Amino acid sequence: MRRVRFIMTAALLLLGFGAGAQNVSDLVITEAVCENTSGPVDGYGRHSSWIEITNSSQGTVNYAGCFLTDDPAVPNKYMIPKGDASTKAGPRQTFIIWMGCDDAEGTFYSSIPVTRGGCIYLVSNDGKTIIDSIAVPEDLPEDMSVAKIARDNKGMQFITEEEAQIPSFKVINVAGSGETGAQKAARTDPHGWILTLTSVSVVFGALIVLWFIFSLVGRVFSREKKAPAAAKPDEMTAAAIALALDMEEGGGTYAAIAMALHLYLGESIHDKESFIITIKPTTAKHDNFRKLPR
Amino acid sequence: MNQIFDSLQQFWQFTGFANCSWQNLVMIAIGIVFITLAIVKEWEPLLLVPIGFGMIVGNIPMFPGLNIGIYEDGSVMNILYQGVRQGWYPPLIFLGIGAMTDFSALISQPRLVVIGAAAQMGIFGAYLLALAVGFAPNEAGAIGIIGGADGPTAIFLSSKLAPDLMGAIAVSAYSYMALVPVIQRPIMLLLTSKKERLIRMEKPRQVSQREKIMFPIIGFLITAFIVPSGLPLLGMLFFGNLLKESGVTRRLAETARGPLIDVVTTLIGLTVGASTQADKFLSGKSVLIFGLGLLSFVIATASGVLFVKFMNLFLKEGRKINPLIGNAGVSAVPDSARVSEVVGRESDPDNHLLMNAMAPNVAGVIGSAVAAGILLGFLG
Repeated sequence: MRRVRFIMTAALLLLGFGAGAQNVSDLVITEAVCENTSGPVDGYGRHSSWIEITNSSQGTVNYAGCFLTDDPAVPNKYMIPKGDASTKAGPRQTFIIWMGCDDAEGTFYSSIPVTRGGCIYLVSNDGKTIIDSIAVPEDLPEDMSVAKIARDNKGMQFITEEEAQIPSFKVINVAGSGETGAQKAARTDPHGWILTLTSVSVVFGALIVLWFIFSLVGRVFSREKKAPAAAKPDEMTAAAIALALDMEEGGGTYAAIAMALHLYLGESIHDKESFIITIKPTTAKHDNFRKLPR
Repeated sequence: MNQIFDSLQQFWQFTGFANCSWQNLVMIAIGIVFITLAIVKEWEPLLLVPIGFGMIVGNIPMFPGLNIGIYEDGSVMNILYQGVRQGWYPPLIFLGIGAMTDFSALISQPRLVVIGAAAQMGIFGAYLLALAVGFAPNEAGAIGIIGGADGPTAIFLSSKLAPDLMGAIAVSAYSYMALVPVIQRPIMLLLTSKKERLIRMEKPRQVSQREKIMFPIIGFLITAFIVPSGLPLLGMLFFGNLLKESGVTRRLAETARGPLIDVVTTLIGLTVGASTQADKFLSGKSVLIFGLGLLSFVIATASGVLFVKFMNLFLKEGRKINPLIGNAGVSAVPDSARVSEVVGRESDPDNHLLMNAMAPNVAGVIGSAVAAGILLGFLG
């Protein structure tokens, strides 16, 4: 019992860990641009500076109420507004916040500037805990960004580099910056042959693996069946038991039990659903009456 | 008196007669044809009756703004339709399918699994054709899945890839599933010789309970690791099968394959039918979808049969496979396996192919779910 409790507790802890892994602590500032002259434009048509934040978890994160700041001593300089349904990022999705704008311009506009040599901090919705930060190099050229590039998509291990400012693949709040799988397919595989060949290979691959494994399993179980069944009497034994019981007791009850055993051991029963064999003696008087009127 | 007249006139504006268009009448007629086919011919009655009636419900002409239409947010029909729109119903149906499917035929003859893969060529053939006639890749993927001959999978994928085409795709998939005996038989006869149709296959070996329990666990792990995007369908299919085979969850299995699947089938049929409102359904695209759907069934059947003939080139005498079970790779369970049996017995009345055909048939269910997962992964 104690062991069961231990296993249950461990499982619950694991589940709790998994659930906890999908909160604002999984947000990462993945890119920052301080001087944008030819890159993406904000909703007002301006080349504002911007930062990009990525949800590195495998669950949806609601980041409403989180803060941005450029001064860790004042962690609550700018709050991402609450009550906006769009402040959710799906697994591995990214969103952009336009910087150096007016806070009142909208959900994704902050007055905090991105400056060379400065640092932008992302603060949790408790207003204290710094989740992540990105330092902007002193010599970051115009139209270049400092980016944390995920080398490992599984563990999301980031390496900070400078690169031309390009929002990530799945930016969700800038029109035209993202590309769906279908759009990518239309661009890279307009006739569909690559997808077709890949998909057919995968379908065949998956089912061939099943074939291989169940051939092996089948062989193992066929061998098991052929082994001398010391603990499992064969059909002949079952038949002998039936005969002996029938002779000894001369009654139908034992014969019925033996028949059930015979069928069970001979695996003649199609499905073993309940594993219960019920034999109900017919002693009730009404069972002996005619069921139909004359 | 004038007031009464005005009221009656106002009431008239609310009636179906005042708002009716010829398109509504066409759709209502199609709904009645579906119901008639289901009752008179007994073609997939569990699906065609709800879909047919749903078509009638969805095409009752009405005054807009009463918040009763299937596309009006918050209406009862709209709430029920969310199960289709968001893809909740298909995995629940797969749970029931898993709980009612006996995979013994497949476990005992694992080599026949690949026929289920070959028949998925219908999906990709239709995908290529749909692209060629000008559909976008996501729409082509949703249309292609009709070739999987699996209604819930078609609804699941089209709800994710091309929600606007879902009504036409679902109706097309279910219609052709009902017509499996009509579509498959001539293709099977055309592609096989008399000698091939007489091939007798060995009887499937008996499968132990332990193997049956291992199958859903191993099958799920393999397929889900290869195609995680197929998780909702594959997970529920194998989970349902584990409920059936474990022997200790009989009540759950009975609920999954009984009341649960009945409720969900009723809702999915009715709401898919109701989603075929004339203004959204009667278009050139729908006609193209029906044409491509038919071609996908033809390609799937032909691919299955031809693949068996190809396999036979490498098999010794006595181990050869009757190509008439190739059509069963199309995952319309058990209809396509039944077609194998019927066509097989036409050539040799003592040659029963049903149990052999069930192997590719259930493999087709797995194959179409895997294919749907791949398409969702690439095009979603």
